[in-house]
Amino acid sequence: MKKDLKIRLLEVFSPIFAFIIAVLLSSLIILAINKNPIEVFYTMFKFSFRRIDSIAIILYNATPLIFSGLAVSIGFRVGLFNIGVEGQYLIGAFCAALVGFAIKGLPSFIHLPLVILSAILGGMLWAIIPIYLKVKKGVHEVISTIMLNYISLSLIHYFIADLFLDRNQKVVLGLGSTLIRMPKIMPSALMPKMHGFLSLFGINLPNHVYLNWFFPIAIILSCVIYYVIWYTPFGYELRAVGFNPIASKVAGINPNSLYIKGFLLSGAVAGLVGLSDLLGYFGYMDLDFPKGYGFTGIAVALMGKNNPFGIILAAILFGFLNRGAEGIQTFLGVPMDTVVILQALVILSVVVVSEVMIRYIRYLDKKGAKI
Amino acid sequence: MIISEMLASAIRMSIPILLVALGAIYAERSGVVNIGLEGMMMIGAFWGALGAYYYGPFIGIIFAMFAGLVFALIHAIVCVTFKVNQIVSGVAINILAYGVSRFLSIIIFKMATTSPPVEGFKDLNIPLLDKINVLKPLVTHISPLIVIAIILVPLTSFVLRRTVFGLRLKSVGENPLAADTLGINVFKMKYYGVLISGILAGLAGSYLSIEHTGMYVEGMTQGKGFIGLAAMIIGNWNPLGAFLASILFGFAEALSMRVVENGIIPYQFIKMIPYVLTLIVLSGFITKSTPPAADGEPYEGSEG
Repeated sequence: MKKDLKIRLLEVFSPIFAFIIAVLLSSLIILAINKNPIEVFYTMFKFSFRRIDSIAIILYNATPLIFSGLAVSIGFRVGLFNIGVEGQYLIGAFCAALVGFAIKGLPSFIHLPLVILSAILGGMLWAIIPIYLKVKKGVHEVISTIMLNYISLSLIHYFIADLFLDRNQKVVLGLGSTLIRMPKIMPSALMPKMHGFLSLFGINLPNHVYLNWFFPIAIILSCVIYYVIWYTPFGYELRAVGFNPIASKVAGINPNSLYIKGFLLSGAVAGLVGLSDLLGYFGYMDLDFPKGYGFTGIAVALMGKNNPFGIILAAILFGFLNRGAEGIQTFLGVPMDTVVILQALVILSVVVVSEVMIRYIRYLDKKGAKI
Repeated sequence: MIISEMLASAIRMSIPILLVALGAIYAERSGVVNIGLEGMMMIGAFWGALGAYYYGPFIGIIFAMFAGLVFALIHAIVCVTFKVNQIVSGVAINILAYGVSRFLSIIIFKMATTSPPVEGFKDLNIPLLDKINVLKPLVTHISPLIVIAIILVPLTSFVLRRTVFGLRLKSVGENPLAADTLGINVFKMKYYGVLISGILAGLAGSYLSIEHTGMYVEGMTQGKGFIGLAAMIIGNWNPLGAFLASILFGFAEALSMRVVENGIIPYQFIKMIPYVLTLIVLSGFITKSTPPAADGEPYEGSEG
């Protein structure tokens, strides 16, 4: 009993412990450029939690990362490594942008769900190829999704700069040329901000904050996925295959069918990653559409231990780091890329610490067995 | 004339891909998947430009190879010693390389995305052949790194087939347990494989910044590290095959620049060729590809 408690505690604290190691390592880098790490991290905190609007920005930053972390974690649960979230969300966002500008005259309560649905389908579509190649041809999903990420980049580039380029833009005075972007999405397809709702509780956010309803949607989706993974037969089979595909096959579960369902679900969630930015901030898709959420999502899923609620916390932590990064660059002249380094170190230390911990638990088990 | 010009341009484009592909062969033959090569190339491009800026191109490539080595060492410690998932580590290495090169670029060059122009090596001309007009683009103004990269192809072949080191490296990637029982130090061989791949990826990066562009530009690797992996796969984990695949990809890239001028096919589609081709080859539509048997699996050690 006491040993079980010890193991539980180790499991809960290992990501925190790993984070501290990553912070210490990046402190060395800050020291190397003659800055005081304590001052840097203190400034990050002060800058981030100084005002309520700053906290709202952190939640806005966290929104795409929750979706992305969830998408990666669903893959992990069934034993697949979805590095392709990056490409899946770009395709998803493109489909959303397409439906958002091409269909006109719909009321918002039809148009917005339609746009979200097309993003989901876009993400799923881009997940079909790697899972088909895996199940039918035995191609490892990591290699195929890496290749598909680059294919999607080129494809999106072509769509934005060529096929669906907005050619009706007026040249803004003083700006020599038009922007390379798709036509603007109809207002009926944009996601409203949370400002009105929050002001009911006396929280008044300024206009430069873009926190929108995708944040609560991300939280609700996390709960739904938690329920599906832990309390439904489908979730049970998913975990069984992820844990041991051969044993589940013996038990009458078809691993391939679960691989397909799990990966498509992962792709569907991945399709939602870019929407908070697309429908809550930009309002159109251009070549500078944010990239890299798919990779940060891997860090979020690892840090959150593939648990939806852990993922929410990890995403908020990363959202805070990105917000704090602006602070240290503005006030201390420390490059904001310190935070990128920190994120990479978090990934490495989380996996190393959890590996060491697994070995330690195995050692404890062995010791227990001897007595 | 136009053909030899195209070919010369294809070779120039294929060199960084080839160097990464050769590096990837060393890593994967030892059984370690290294998708961090993209990042090692990126960090090599930065340190190459840095060294070349202050001390000239020779020190530049030394810096680049050393930087690649350091990042490869991280990968090796995490994957071989701690036996962590090799893909996770590779993803982290790529993010780390991106962050570190931006960070250092701001600190050293005061700009996040570019370095000042740097000086490259003196070009070589092949004597006698450079008198023939038709061959002129192929045999004049050659970077010494091109020569080194091409020599590395038969050299790698020789190392893998004929030397004790190469045979041990391959045995570790095929069946580590058997290699271990024969007294081969599995962990040491895997370290060698990963470290060599890092050195070559660093060299590939420095070719881009010192020789190809004449400066460091953020994101200049443009996925060439992954194309290198693709070249290795299409080349079926063999140096000569990887060489041919690299030339093919280099040719596609050279072509994409010509096509922009003419505008027949959107150049974005030409850019997809390496990736689409890799998917097709992996699916077994053209040839059968066979990776080393124990590729990507951490070795637990004989007692575990």
